Amino acid sequence: MIRALKKKLIDAYLSNEEKSKVERALKNLASTGFDPWGVNPETLKASIASTIWLYRHYYRVVNHGLENIPTGRCLFISNHSGQVPIDAMLITTAALIELEPPRLLRGMVERWAPSLPFVSTLFSRCGQITGDIHNAKNLLERDESVMVFPEGVNGVGKTIFNRYELQNFGTGFIRLAMETKTPILPIGVIGCEETLPSLSKLGPLAKKLGIPYIPVIATGPIPLPTKVTIRYGKPILFEGNADEPDSEVRKKVETVKNAIRAELEAGLAARGERIFTGAGV
Amino acid sequence: MKKVLITGAAGGLAAIVADTLKGKFDLYGVDPRPFPTGREFPGKFFQADYRQRKMADLFRVHGFDAIVHLGRVPIAARLRKTQRFNLNVLGTRSLLDLALKNKVKSVIVLSTFHVYGAHQHNHLYISEEDPLLASQTFPEIVDAVELDNVSVTFSLRNPQVRTVILRPTNIIGDRIKNQISMFLRGKMCPVLLGYDPMWQFIHEDDMANSILLALEGKKSGIYNVSGEGVIAFSHAIRLAGGSPVPVPSFLSGAVIRGLKFAGQYFPRHLVDFFKYPVVVSDKNFRKDFGYEPHISTADALRGLKIETAPESIEGRPELPTEANSKD
Repeated sequence: MIRALKKKLIDAYLSNEEKSKVERALKNLASTGFDPWGVNPETLKASIASTIWLYRHYYRVVNHGLENIPTGRCLFISNHSGQVPIDAMLITTAALIELEPPRLLRGMVERWAPSLPFVSTLFSRCGQITGDIHNAKNLLERDESVMVFPEGVNGVGKTIFNRYELQNFGTGFIRLAMETKTPILPIGVIGCEETLPSLSKLGPLAKKLGIPYIPVIATGPIPLPTKVTIRYGKPILFEGNADEPDSEVRKKVETVKNAIRAELEAGLAARGERIFTGAGV
Repeated sequence: MKKVLITGAAGGLAAIVADTLKGKFDLYGVDPRPFPTGREFPGKFFQADYRQRKMADLFRVHGFDAIVHLGRVPIAARLRKTQRFNLNVLGTRSLLDLALKNKVKSVIVLSTFHVYGAHQHNHLYISEEDPLLASQTFPEIVDAVELDNVSVTFSLRNPQVRTVILRPTNIIGDRIKNQISMFLRGKMCPVLLGYDPMWQFIHEDDMANSILLALEGKKSGIYNVSGEGVIAFSHAIRLAGGSPVPVPSFLSGAVIRGLKFAGQYFPRHLVDFFKYPVVVSDKNFRKDFGYEPHISTADALRGLKIETAPESIEGRPELPTEANSKD
């Protein structure tokens, strides 16, 4: 029954060309129909079919700078916002259906995600992997593309008052890029910061409950149909020793942060206050 | 012709391995269990515990060139914990000591990928250098981990004996009757609701061939061995012709007890493998020994339902109790 539903969903929302794009994005399929990380083309198609309407008609995504994306291995680094990772979903959809050759971005999910029933299976079928340095390295060495949000939960959970302020970045992604000689693609996402405007994280209560944040959404639980712009900057390739001290790596982190900030500023200047209609181009 | 001693020779895998090795080597088999009636070992068979004096004499009389140590007692054999530990760990230790003393040139030890343990933080791929976490969540399996450790220590201390430790993934095939192939032959296969991890399999013929490659090769070390693909567990069950029956995690204990009551034993350490993936890389074995799996995972799984041929292996013979008590 689930299979029939999946097929219906795919046929209703994906054109033949889009179906073929999803198939071509998968490089390491075995005779079993799975790649080693657990991606299955049918589930991936169904998941893209369920996001493509949101991508096209709800968030009306505009891409800027697609030509900057390198063809080989690549580390997609973006700002993170929106309480739930809608930005990750939109960037993944864009990379699958807008690029030629199409590519499947592997998102890095929290380390506790594999222990969640259903969610862990869905993540794995759609190419999301546990945030582990070995995982990322193995993927990049196979010329796959990995998406990282160095702000982590600090970014996704931030309140509306801090929107478009980049939070603290980790340093792991720089070392990863240097070790695997991977270009870093800085991305600025404009529009996701306002889709679920949170007034407070309820920090003390969340801490007591052992969760990162409890958003108080000003507009209710339904995400607002903001217009989303994804701006891809010029790729940055760092050369040198991946084992240099943190002080050196911090400088490189700043370079990437500045590149993302530049994209955000350019996008915000173009969009202005028209959060539902203005494109950041 | 070189003389090869196969341990665990009364078992199912040994019969398949012996078939692959016969004609190329002079085969000797040893097992604490009697040899099952209805089939023949393609060489000489002796019933002995690996810790017995009889074993030392076999080495002196025959002067083996190589040992293929397949004789690991699985949890499914339902021995007492200490018995299993003694047979596996102390048995392996005395076997390796005999090999050293009698100048055996090569030792192939069959460990298992279970020693890595199914853990939620497992990355992909798991290589031979990764820590053995299995006994962290399931202490029962410590004998398998220790067997592996004893062999690794031996190979480091005694480079003059070429020691190859193989850690294969789930061995399946139409002849072998280990826990996982019996499970997959079932019509209704319990799985954990909401979890569908990736699994790896290796066909019994590819396994036997890897042992041949390890025997004929030049290198020593620890090697993961696997088949061609990786597959979601529920799809593996369907390819094998069964239906996955989802069971909520909190009921898994009850289901295992229920299966036990119905006469079907299920090793509890596998429950974690039903939840989290353990995907290993065998690129080192491919590189150093020229290994290449010949049977695809999909074909191996489909082959499980094939009617067992009349000359195939009977069920696992019981271990005689007196063999276990002699130390």
